Amino acid sequence: MRARLLHAALLGLIGAGIVHIVILFLLPDMSPRDAWSRLAGQADTYQVSTYAADSAISGPAGVADPFFQAVACRFDLADGVTHVHREGRVPYWSASVYDRGGRNLYSLNDRSATDGQLDLVVLTPDQMVDMRKSPLEELENAIFVEAPIGEGIVVIRGFAPDGSSARTVSDYLNAIECVAQTS
Amino acid sequence: MLKTALTVLLTLSLAIGGGAASVWYVLAGQSGTGALTIGSWTAFPKIGAPDADPYSKARVSREGVLALGSAEGVAFTAVEDSTGRPLRLECNYRIEGIAPPARFWTLFAERRGSASMGVTETGRLSALNSQGVVRRSDNTFAVTVARSAMSGNWLGVSGAGPMAVVLTVYDSTVAAGADLAEASMPEIVPLGCEQASPDTSKDEVVSDAR
Repeated sequence: MRARLLHAALLGLIGAGIVHIVILFLLPDMSPRDAWSRLAGQADTYQVSTYAADSAISGPAGVADPFFQAVACRFDLADGVTHVHREGRVPYWSASVYDRGGRNLYSLNDRSATDGQLDLVVLTPDQMVDMRKSPLEELENAIFVEAPIGEGIVVIRGFAPDGSSARTVSDYLNAIECVAQTS
Repeated sequence: MLKTALTVLLTLSLAIGGGAASVWYVLAGQSGTGALTIGSWTAFPKIGAPDADPYSKARVSREGVLALGSAEGVAFTAVEDSTGRPLRLECNYRIEGIAPPARFWTLFAERRGSASMGVTETGRLSALNSQGVVRRSDNTFAVTVARSAMSGNWLGVSGAGPMAVVLTVYDSTVAAGADLAEASMPEIVPLGCEQASPDTSKDEVVSDAR
């Protein structure tokens, strides 16, 4: 009997190890709380919406940075290249391109952009080839982000160091245009 | 027959329960794979990156985080002071030293495990940023974390219980590069704790360190 219990416990432990690994690798694909699902609940594709402050912008700490505001836009490169742009200036902005699973593929801030302007194009390598053949005039100053993805998310964050700049930053972020363009 | 059923049940519950519990335990922890620790501060610089380890990936999707990219910044969280004791809202601390080179940084305090931002007793947010912090001539700074107002740079908190402090550097070379492990982070020096009642005056601060 004792040998049998020991056998069962040992099998259970090995099973626990297997279950641990299975859950770990299934989580990224199965999680109902991931960023994409939550954003889908609040806005349509290509609709710029406030990226909720409870979603830990700064990391696994639990609380978002109170000096930051953020907007997100979901896109699908099957509709054409995604163009994210906004005229004007704020003290600081940064942008990140995520795939559907929330992996950060590319990030930049206002210092790496031409003249500090937000003008970003996300496209697949195939679309990049087409774009090189026949460049679009309105995209000549844009930064091109080549990403081998279909659906994805762009997040733009703005820094509001004090109460008076909070309004400017939120106006700036909410007027960002996020559109699909076909050449 | 019953014995067989029971042993099978034991094996299965051990496997499923143990497997699920161990994943939860690892993901809920502050340390673990992918963590980088400098003094009291822990960061997950690779979190959200395509080449992150499976634990970081699972953390990202479980919490719905869209993590900061390397061109954006990196967040350091501290839950212990420099002597290794847990940070508490009812205790005073001096965060002192130099932040990693960055365009700017922000510093905020929160009750550990709560989903909302910490506030002072008058309702201001428990947060500072480098543009509002006075620095010494050698570029170092000192911020006092306390419930009652302090002269100098004051990070006000309220309530009691375990606390976490988050220092985030933005547009920083350390976020992008490999020298992250050598970044200099400020020290969190404990200054003693107030009594548990919220209306304790400053005079009753018990100085058990320094």
